[in-house]
Amino acid sequence: MSSVTYGGYGNGVRTNTSVWRGWDRFDYLLTLTAIALVGIGLVLIYSGSLSFYDGPLTSFSSPVFKQVIFACVGIAGMLVVSKLDYHYLTHYAWVLYGLGILSLIALLAIGQTSYGSTRWFDLGPIQLQPSEFAKLATILALARFFSEHGGDARDLRTLLISLVIVAPVAGLVFIQPDLGTSLVFFAIWIGIVVVAGANRSHLFVMAALFIAVLPFLWTFGIAQYQVGRVAVLVDSQEDPLGDGYNVNQSKIAVGSGQIFGKGFTNGDQTQLGYLKVATKDFIFSLLSEEFGFVGCVTVMSLFVLLLMRGVRAAQIAGDTAGQLVAVGIVMLILMQTVINIAVNLSVFPVTGIPLPFVSQGGSSLVSIFIAIGILQSIVMRHRAYRQT
Amino acid sequence: MSILDEGFRAPGGTSRNRPHGNLQILRFAVIGLFLLLGARLAQMQIVDGASYAQRSRENHIFQKNILPTRGLIEDRNGEPLVQNVGVYSASVLPEALPNADQFDDWKERRFKIYLKLEQLTGTSQLEIQSRVNDAEAAGQAYIAIKIADNLTKDQALALDEVTTEMPGVTLDITPGRLYLGNEFSHILGYIGPQFKEDAARLEGQGYQFNEPIGKDGLESRYESDLRGTVGYTAVEQDASGKQITALKSRDPVPGNSLKLAIDAPLQRYIAELLQDSLPDDPTYGAAHEAAAVVMDPNTGEVLAMVSIPTYDNNIWSESKIRGAELDALQNDNLTHTLTNKALSAAAPGSTFKIVTSTAGLEEGSITPNTSRYVGCSLEITGENNVIYTYPDWTCHDKVLDVRSALAWSSNVFMFLTAGGDLETTRGLGKSVEDSGAILATWARRFGFGSPTGIDLPGEGSGRVPDPAWKKRTYVGPGFNPGENEWFIGDTYNTAIGQGDVLATPLQVARMTAAIANGGKLVTPHLVDEIISPDGQTVRTIQPEFQDVGMSKATARVIAEGMLGSVQYGAGILAQLSNVSVAGKTGTAEFYDPDTGRKTQHAWFTGFAPFDKPEVVVTVYFDKGTGGVHAAPVAAKILQYYFDNVHR
Repeated sequence: MSSVTYGGYGNGVRTNTSVWRGWDRFDYLLTLTAIALVGIGLVLIYSGSLSFYDGPLTSFSSPVFKQVIFACVGIAGMLVVSKLDYHYLTHYAWVLYGLGILSLIALLAIGQTSYGSTRWFDLGPIQLQPSEFAKLATILALARFFSEHGGDARDLRTLLISLVIVAPVAGLVFIQPDLGTSLVFFAIWIGIVVVAGANRSHLFVMAALFIAVLPFLWTFGIAQYQVGRVAVLVDSQEDPLGDGYNVNQSKIAVGSGQIFGKGFTNGDQTQLGYLKVATKDFIFSLLSEEFGFVGCVTVMSLFVLLLMRGVRAAQIAGDTAGQLVAVGIVMLILMQTVINIAVNLSVFPVTGIPLPFVSQGGSSLVSIFIAIGILQSIVMRHRAYRQT
Repeated sequence: MSILDEGFRAPGGTSRNRPHGNLQILRFAVIGLFLLLGARLAQMQIVDGASYAQRSRENHIFQKNILPTRGLIEDRNGEPLVQNVGVYSASVLPEALPNADQFDDWKERRFKIYLKLEQLTGTSQLEIQSRVNDAEAAGQAYIAIKIADNLTKDQALALDEVTTEMPGVTLDITPGRLYLGNEFSHILGYIGPQFKEDAARLEGQGYQFNEPIGKDGLESRYESDLRGTVGYTAVEQDASGKQITALKSRDPVPGNSLKLAIDAPLQRYIAELLQDSLPDDPTYGAAHEAAAVVMDPNTGEVLAMVSIPTYDNNIWSESKIRGAELDALQNDNLTHTLTNKALSAAAPGSTFKIVTSTAGLEEGSITPNTSRYVGCSLEITGENNVIYTYPDWTCHDKVLDVRSALAWSSNVFMFLTAGGDLETTRGLGKSVEDSGAILATWARRFGFGSPTGIDLPGEGSGRVPDPAWKKRTYVGPGFNPGENEWFIGDTYNTAIGQGDVLATPLQVARMTAAIANGGKLVTPHLVDEIISPDGQTVRTIQPEFQDVGMSKATARVIAEGMLGSVQYGAGILAQLSNVSVAGKTGTAEFYDPDTGRKTQHAWFTGFAPFDKPEVVVTVYFDKGTGGVHAAPVAAKILQYYFDNVHR
């Protein structure tokens, strides 16, 4: 008697190809957590935009409404991607990776410059941030690479080649300049190679080498504005109306929130315009000021929950490619969240990384939902690819 | 085949190897990083939360102070002597000027503003431009630059009309004073910006850095009464400096006003009179300085206090445009205009004979009936039979008692009264030194040698020499050994107000008042009442007295001597037809430090009416003769007083 192996390779048994298939394994908790964060983000964006927008909520110029639209687009994208087999993505990983690098190069030539840094393509009503796309492409490329090498990074040669995959994208982002995002790239790489079983001594040697070249990077590699931002972090009183202004004001906003916050739309720092970009990079400061320690812990708990569901996806992934893609996405969300909050808490230099799901901004919201969609795709197919 | 199919197959068999990664480390990383952030958050919001909340409040709540209206100063009849005025100045705030972000033609726009300012204030556009550029280069574009001060009312109005069209330009008003009449300058003083060295102390007393303070005279002495209480408004401001809401405010309380004892018309009359009467004697040189004090001997109220020359104390607030004039005033070594001569010491001359006579009567070296023949001089036989001659100012050739000696201002009578003749006549004490010391004691009892305590800063003490003082002072380079001994000549010199004695016109007036009121040494004062903004009397200055220690009888004898002086003696030019005046002339010889020539001060001090004294007048000229120059001026002052001031 022949046994039936569901989803078995080469089995040829495809009894159900309906779009409705697999939703029973869909991680609803993961998606609901993400939507809850977006909802909190909408509340904060409303409060943070009061000082510059006083039109109706249901208008295309309302920041809240725009964010709702982007959230819908993102959720739709997530649903489509979750129905898409992630192997389709890993299959074209090198093509996507190549496109990512090309878009980053193109950006250097024709991108929009703001706050001294070139990060966007201006496409009329929307702005595209190619580094968002490049992050996902790089995750896919790394996963593809390791899955073709036995899911194994024990070998120094394999480890170094994987570094070569990540270095050009990280480098291109670094010269935009965007120190924060290039750090995210390296964090993704470290997360993936650690799970892929890199030899610890190799990692230690590389860490030592990195620390050794850091002073040279500081001198030659890091743009002057970045030096200013780091210096300001060390002493934010150094230049109270220049680089230190934001650090100072966000510190005051966060600290003055105390335990329960000043209340919705009652944050003086935000409402009186002392806190700059309160709906974007500094939305966590706004949260801290108006909702206090309680509000912050709630949001951070939601992030922990979301990330744990991501780790679960990696845990149950059907194959190495899926597992490594999931790990990469977890690292992506983890690092962006941690760096953003660290900036808001003045323990990291100002880098311009938004808070995932919460910050105002379409590009990052849509791309992060697509990343969630990829996680869902992995979760929904974990049994199909699990080898016996 | 649909791409949504689960059946999609990646090429190559190795892609679906079994996942073997250890994800525990990832879970630790997530938990660990968020715990770190949570700890930092707790530190900021819970541990340091209160201090951040305070900083948040300071961040957006701005307290703006409102300076109070300074109290006014008026004379005894309510005539105002000062006015409060606004001092207008123009400032430019560089960051509010048109800039490159707003306009393409920002340079032209700025240039137009500079040109308009030059036209309105007279400050050249080049200067404004370079100061703005300097401030911007120094990163201080947020600090307003004062480009013109003390604008006239017309300039201020013209500027006010166009400030709305000139972003970055503001018209500022700070409180100022207008003083009404040069005659009051020495009394009133002036207000001005705080000195750097006082700023910290004043800040501790709640002063604003731009708040003017009293600098001299009554403005300084009564600063705490005149200043009032600063008010404030607290407003909530957004990051761009726009006012959002007014939170609370306190109105400023205007300062209290001063009602002076001064009679303004009398003060003006005396100033003009003194200026016109400055003696110009070919022998003694031209007088440049003069002073007069008119005082009520019973209360110490100063009705007039004039120092010649007068000056315009508005010059301090207009120092920017009247710099040369102010410079000349401050370096004036001929007339010492800024010095109040009524409060600076000079040799009192024969007016001091009042002290000598009082001492003689009280110490018993003379009686009211002691009579002596006085010729032209006194001859004293000293050691080794050397004969010293002490001349009188004229050959009296009369038998004089203390009254007529005062009336004729006999030096010899006073020599003998104070120092004796070392043979048959005893002086105030048993020895030469004792006599000198006793005379000095009486001088101090009359208030010489120390400030009178008038309510003005910068009062001179004068000087009362005595043997101990001379022993201390006449030593060192320039003095011979033994020169610091007290000789009989020192007693003689002091007895007639010469030598080392120095007294201020106010001290002389106070001594005169003591004779007039029967022996009470009164503390002079310029302010009678301090009046609150709503017209209530806050406090009244009460007369204060010390006892000179002389009997009423002695005072009477001295007064009779002074009456004689005006009726038939040296002070006859002070006589009035309708009022009985008593007085004492003084002519003090001294060497003019400027010319090195021997010259003399002219004094007259007196009171009237003799029977019921109500006014004391002291007149001083830096050069002249008491009986010739000072006495007639005193007569005119008294005449004016009885015609216009007397109630």
